[in-house]
Amino acid sequence: VAALAVLVFVAALVLIAVEWVHRTKVALAGAAVMVLLGVLEQDAAIEAVDWATLGLLAGMMIIVGLTEPTGVFTFLALRVAQLSRGNPIALVFLLAGVTGVLSAFLDNLTAILLVVPITLVIADLLRVSPIPLVLVEIMASNIGGTATLIGDPPNIMIGTARPELSFVDFIVNLAPVAVFTLVIVSAGLALAFRSQLRIDPERAREIATLDAARDLREADKVWRTLAVLLGTIAAFFLHTLLHLEPAVVALTGATVMLLVAADDVEHALERVEWATLFFFVGLFVMVGGLEQQGVVEDVAGWLADVTGGSSTAEGLVVLWGAAAGSAAVDNIPFTAAMIPVVDTLQGDEFDDGLWWALALGACFGGNATMIAAAANVAATGILDRNGHPISFVRFLAVGVPVTLVSLVIATGYLLLFQL
Amino acid sequence: MAHLRDLPLVDASVPDSATVGEAAARLFEAQVPAIAVVTDDGRLTGIVSELDLLRAVFPGYLAELRHTAFLEDDPDALGERARAVRDRAVSELARKVEALDGDESETHAAERLLHTGEQALPVTEDGRFLGMLSIAALCHSRLDRVD
Repeated sequence: VAALAVLVFVAALVLIAVEWVHRTKVALAGAAVMVLLGVLEQDAAIEAVDWATLGLLAGMMIIVGLTEPTGVFTFLALRVAQLSRGNPIALVFLLAGVTGVLSAFLDNLTAILLVVPITLVIADLLRVSPIPLVLVEIMASNIGGTATLIGDPPNIMIGTARPELSFVDFIVNLAPVAVFTLVIVSAGLALAFRSQLRIDPERAREIATLDAARDLREADKVWRTLAVLLGTIAAFFLHTLLHLEPAVVALTGATVMLLVAADDVEHALERVEWATLFFFVGLFVMVGGLEQQGVVEDVAGWLADVTGGSSTAEGLVVLWGAAAGSAAVDNIPFTAAMIPVVDTLQGDEFDDGLWWALALGACFGGNATMIAAAANVAATGILDRNGHPISFVRFLAVGVPVTLVSLVIATGYLLLFQL
Repeated sequence: MAHLRDLPLVDASVPDSATVGEAAARLFEAQVPAIAVVTDDGRLTGIVSELDLLRAVFPGYLAELRHTAFLEDDPDALGERARAVRDRAVSELARKVEALDGDESETHAAERLLHTGEQALPVTEDGRFLGMLSIAALCHSRLDRVD
């Protein structure tokens, strides 16, 4: 039965990676097969679902979904483009910065869905190809998302699986390395794309004259939604002091947002990406099957053997292994499978270094390929729909070097400060 | 009971060899939300709606955006795009839709219009195009026949 569990999980990973079938269908089908074939009991399947992760995701989807129509994010992205004054290097750094910050405090997929459409407009107005700018944003979203507990789905899963790791712990331990990596990567990309981003000063002047605030209609609603959004982020910082789980913070924020900003609750709840939530449900059940069959313990045991029990070696194997796994499949299922492995690997003694290694590997690994993170799939999809298709290989040419540089920085950081 | 063939269908079509510019002119003249694209022997190959035309003539990224009040017209870019679109073959823009049959009921047509989201659907008989049935024509005809 253990072999069957591995077979179903690996088949699901392959199907998710090749995108023949929607990933939610694959995850749910894999979960159903495992339950129906007795890989895990029905009760165990329900227990395997991490409801806190789902609550955190759903809450943030509602909060962002109700903030977005106010136009505040369009305002932000356009103002940032205007600040660059047509300087390509400044434009790359500013777009990377705004995407990174939005990723850290909303999540990377949301950040991409907010900034990429406006980037298409900016590129059109500046008469440059949007592809380099969107690639910068993808890389920035995955790096920026690494900085917080809510920034990237792998971190959300790690944070909810290990309550010892608070929102502030994530910021203290991951934000500095994420910011440093973002600066280095942005500099590299600005250099690499400089010839493709030659901007006519006349076009830059035209962009500067656009009135970014024209879309901020209903000022009262803008302030109300921003207050709830910022209040929720503040509550994340204080969640340990408040004795509240991150999911409770997100769902409370979502409830307040519904009370103050949703004229029609049905319409507001349409912003919840049910396909994503069900994808997580399927994954949790499949990973529950692997755990129940002892596969997770075997992998952890094998890792411990390979690394000779050295926590430094374990951390580096987790970092690079998580990055490679995330690049090959998708960092969400890979992290779901790795969490119990790391849990087993650390044994009774809690070792946060291993968790930071997993977070850095899975999040940074999300930059390597087009399919490694949901943000990449979404951004390249928008480019494709708008007549700017980007091939898998062209993505790799940017994604792999960025990932390698990021991992080298993460390795240095872990060796110096964590392992 | 009225069949669809008895309703005021609009004979609004262009040959599949027409250009997008010609299709736009026909759409404007015919005053229907969509026209049919037909072969030389009158067989339906697809439809082009006002929305299809809007998407082709204006930048595609507009569909991704919700806030565009800050945008000002960029005559050069719009002109360049319009020039490229105008001479494209209309068949590149045409979408396949399930046509209504001349023998079918008004109620069925109403249900199809509701669920396809189209503003007008083609009506055919034996594969040959009879005319476009718009929501306005369907409702006006229905209301007009009340005692």
